[in-house]
Amino acid sequence: MELKVNQDQIDRLYRFTREHFVEHYDLQTELVDHLSNAIETEWQENPKIPFEEALQKEFKKFGIFGFSDAVEKRQNAMQRRYFKFVWTHFISFFKLPKIILTIGFIGILFQTLHFFPYQEFIIYALILFFVIAFASWQFKTNRLLKKHKKEKRKRWLMEEIIYQFGLGTAFPVMFQIFFHASKFGSSGLESWQSQLFFSTLFVLLTLFFYIMIKIIPSKAEEYLKQTYPEYAFVE
Amino acid sequence: MYKKVMYICLSNFVLMKNTSLYKGSLNTIIMKLLEEKGRMYGYEITQKVKAITLGELNITEGALYPALHKLEAEGLLEVEVEKVDNRLRKYYKLTEKGTKETVNRLAELEEFIKNMQNIVNPKLSY
Repeated sequence: MELKVNQDQIDRLYRFTREHFVEHYDLQTELVDHLSNAIETEWQENPKIPFEEALQKEFKKFGIFGFSDAVEKRQNAMQRRYFKFVWTHFISFFKLPKIILTIGFIGILFQTLHFFPYQEFIIYALILFFVIAFASWQFKTNRLLKKHKKEKRKRWLMEEIIYQFGLGTAFPVMFQIFFHASKFGSSGLESWQSQLFFSTLFVLLTLFFYIMIKIIPSKAEEYLKQTYPEYAFVE
Repeated sequence: MYKKVMYICLSNFVLMKNTSLYKGSLNTIIMKLLEEKGRMYGYEITQKVKAITLGELNITEGALYPALHKLEAEGLLEVEVEKVDNRLRKYYKLTEKGTKETVNRLAELEEFIKNMQNIVNPKLSY
């Protein structure tokens, strides 16, 4: 009779992947199936080999770095996918009817900077708005992720990226751009060209911000199902 | 012709596994296999390659999954999940974009092999 990996051994394989720094369920599942297949094949040739020994033998085939290369590439692939989601929404703001809204906001900000005498005040108020929005979002999502941890929910990489803004890669970049722009602003947004440039930049950044903290998290479930066909099996 | 391409491609894999050509070939191997078989899971791919090359070539597990995930991120592959025995199994298959890309990559590879053969083994004509 053909020997098969049993449920306890499957659980052991999940633990094994966790012990080797594979924290997310999707990659764990793929590796568990791989190891199970390999162990079952080993049993066909050598039925007496114990499960643990067969497992160590198969794990060695992943090389000295173990699963780490797979984890790293998986992370890159998911981040890329996430930014594709963001980009698709971003582009939609430049198509009818939303483009009217985009141009409208740029126009309002431009007019305010053009006619309101205290430009610096406006810029600092805008920065403050960004910082407060970012901090409150961070607080809210940290609470949510802690709750997930407490409930021992399965960890999905895409979910963590969604709730942590592309794992924190996007925001430092955005803030840097914004602060450079504000320096440029404090030296005086005198010409209409510089006012228009600043207004456009600010609205574009706000759009990214809005997509990342509002639109995508509100569709998180949908994106998770789309990214992980296995999500439907377990959640 | 494709069988020949596949064989030479796999030979490159063995002989030049430390060059960048190796990486390019691995992706082409995966895509070619999926084109033939429709859908496959990771372990099946490693075994199939071993069978084609009569055990001469092992796709290392450490290289296979990163390659699969990269192709998936590029939109060339898509995944399906099924419960098999008592575990979940992830199958990969070519997307429409992936199918077109496979044709291009195989054509490129054929061209490359032809050029290499001309260089290595030139037929001089007078």
